[in-house]
Amino acid sequence: MTRFWLIKLLRTVITLWFVVSFTFIVLRTSGDPVVALLGADALPAEIEHFRELWGLDRSLFTQYVSYVGQMATGQFGISLRDSRPVLEIILERLPATVELGLAAFAIAAVIGIPAGIVAALQRGKLTDRIVMVFAVFGFALPNFFLGILLILLFSLYLQVLPSSGTGTLLHLIMPAATLATFTAGTLARFTRSAMLEVLERPYMRAAAAKGVPFWKRVLLHALPNAAIPIVTVIGLNLGQLVAGAIVVESVFAWPGIGRLLVVAVSQRDLAVVQGLVLVIAVTMVLANLAVDLLYGLLDPRIREGAK
Amino acid sequence: MISRRNFGKYSLAAGASTLWLPGSLALAQDGSRPTLTIAVDNLWANINTINGISTTTRRFFPNIYSHLVERDYIADEQGLTLVPGLATEWSRDGKVWTLKLREGVKFHNGETMTAEDVAFTLGPERLWGETPFEPRGKTFTAGFVRVEAIDDLTVEIETEREDPYIPGKLTGYIGFVVPKKAYLEMGVDAFGQAPIGTGPYRVTLFRSGEVLEMEAFDDCWSGPPPAQKLIWRIVPEFAGRMAGLVSGEFEFIANIPTDQEAQLASYDNVTVARALAGNYPAFAFNTRPDPEDNPLVDVNLRKAMVQAIDMDAIVQALFGDTTFHPAVPFNFPEYGDFYDPEMVNPLPYDPEAARALVEASGYDGQVLRWHITRQFYPNYEAAAEIMVEQWRQIGVNVQAVVLDNFELVYTRPYHLMNMSMSTDFIPGDPYQPLWLDWGPTASRSTAHWKTWDPTPEYLAAGKEFEEAITFEERKAAYLKLSQAWQDVTPGYYLWKSVYNWAHRADIEFVARPDGEMRMFGDYMALPA
Repeated sequence: MTRFWLIKLLRTVITLWFVVSFTFIVLRTSGDPVVALLGADALPAEIEHFRELWGLDRSLFTQYVSYVGQMATGQFGISLRDSRPVLEIILERLPATVELGLAAFAIAAVIGIPAGIVAALQRGKLTDRIVMVFAVFGFALPNFFLGILLILLFSLYLQVLPSSGTGTLLHLIMPAATLATFTAGTLARFTRSAMLEVLERPYMRAAAAKGVPFWKRVLLHALPNAAIPIVTVIGLNLGQLVAGAIVVESVFAWPGIGRLLVVAVSQRDLAVVQGLVLVIAVTMVLANLAVDLLYGLLDPRIREGAK
Repeated sequence: MISRRNFGKYSLAAGASTLWLPGSLALAQDGSRPTLTIAVDNLWANINTINGISTTTRRFFPNIYSHLVERDYIADEQGLTLVPGLATEWSRDGKVWTLKLREGVKFHNGETMTAEDVAFTLGPERLWGETPFEPRGKTFTAGFVRVEAIDDLTVEIETEREDPYIPGKLTGYIGFVVPKKAYLEMGVDAFGQAPIGTGPYRVTLFRSGEVLEMEAFDDCWSGPPPAQKLIWRIVPEFAGRMAGLVSGEFEFIANIPTDQEAQLASYDNVTVARALAGNYPAFAFNTRPDPEDNPLVDVNLRKAMVQAIDMDAIVQALFGDTTFHPAVPFNFPEYGDFYDPEMVNPLPYDPEAARALVEASGYDGQVLRWHITRQFYPNYEAAAEIMVEQWRQIGVNVQAVVLDNFELVYTRPYHLMNMSMSTDFIPGDPYQPLWLDWGPTASRSTAHWKTWDPTPEYLAAGKEFEEAITFEERKAAYLKLSQAWQDVTPGYYLWKSVYNWAHRADIEFVARPDGEMRMFGDYMALPA
């Protein structure tokens, strides 16, 4: 068991190192941050001054070693853009993204999982077809497009919801719904197929033969056995919620880390981008780790196999 | 009858309004001053007067800082009339300008402005010394040799040669006064996050990627402002800005795509405001033999490409009547007496003449790369597509290469690149676009991506221009300098930029060509 977790931990560290290094290489080779920050008309002397000030005149290798060292010790550095500590900037924005992500996830789970169960139980019937049409629709519709449609409908024409920003529960509705649509569609599809597979198993027929009531069979026999693929999808989509937030936060001016990332990348604010990528990577890794843990809890065979 | 607007009110608004109070209620009913929310496409990283220079900061700067000298756009549409700001008088004796300062002006931190603050604001420590706090200041203070506080309310500025244009220069970014003590105590970076000025609003919250909040500063030298609070909120998506304005969440929005103006103007509760900006998008020809086989080193080919463009038609198609193409470079209407509406265009649209010039240049059909920054100038890519086609008609092959940022645009090889140039550094004088931006110290002639080498004729004319004191001398030197530039034709000016805004129809707002959104004085009036 200890070896099992040590391997997982090592894999996590290697993943994070890879992400950190890849980010460094991409950012250093895709444009000069000084030019991006000072603007097109900056004079060569100004560019040189700031390059020196920010340590960008050092060799790439020296910069890399110093950067990896900082990351390893939890120092995210100072933003080139507004000279504030990166960690402070990220922590300032993180709660908004977490709020949006949790709301979206709750909506997606509350809609997606029951819809998938109902579709599986009504396989081939009209209800199944309707649920799947909406699932494909939610799965296929780009976030930015749906977001703009919602703004035009609910803010411009009906004038019942605020078009952007934060502050009240009503501000949360459109961004959370936009972000939830994709995940809800995915969950519905996976829940349906997982449930269909379980519903055809012999023990479900045996339970029916023994006279176990319908909803008890569904909730206590079928659903726990269908949970493994559903949990996997949930884990993958937790990461997707962060990635999706980049678009949704921009459309709705939601002040989270997604919007921060867009601005930081466009302005080549190296320290902030690096810090954010690390935060997002850690989120993904932790989500996967949580899924692995849940596997053990949900399926005794996995628990036993790890011993 | 239920319309698309009141449908919302009948159906859902009743419940929603108990939770969300839109901005339409921001204008207080009890006589107290309202909060105004301005949705903008972006803010900037800092609010330093020089390090923070950008179109987005220019919008709100004068609400925080005050100029030493002001341009009056109320009495004079071109803003060529200079009026007192923090300086009440100015006079010149040879190379020395003396500024008399307004008495009793308070900074937002309660301290009184003195000549020491002004001398520091314009001085070497901050702008033009060896390692200044805000190094971009050197560009705007060329020729400064001494700035000194003579007494509490008198400052002297000495320049290396006689410079009649110092008051005009003080209407720009360098004319915003900062408090010396607070600036030095906080340091330039911290000051840029929590700036202190003498303007009618003081900053209370600044998150550069999100929001800037200001509250009324009633001790302002120009009197209390009309709003209690200003919220400048980033709403990157135009649909969000438009919906917010129409629904009453916002009082103002900035930066409207040209093709959306009509839609916005169709709402009864919205007014669209425009101003022709002191800025011209353009492109530069790479006139240098880098790459070695660059056919654009031949002036005939450059002039041919200019004569192949029907820019009046392009501007009409893309902007309607909201702006225009300046037929002769540097003959811009904002230059008052320098401007000659009768000046003849030496390179008019003439495809036949263009073909003859192509022939004379010996151009062999080589593809020319035109580097363009993605969505940086409104309608630039659309105009480029048409121009590429017009060049094809005279046998010149241009490939428009749209790139994500300026660093990529500056990466060789290229034959043309996008750019823009401002015209308002000295009000009513062509110094900036003609000499500051093309001269021997300009990035266009010094940077690693430079596109031309100023010719001896241009440099000689520039020296005359810099040394000219009287208007007659200056105008003669300007014409000579402009001719020297046109002989080379290292670039082409496309159209005058347009700034646009939209605001609640019951607010009166005067749009300024410098892009400033002044929420005070004669520039804005709220409903009674």
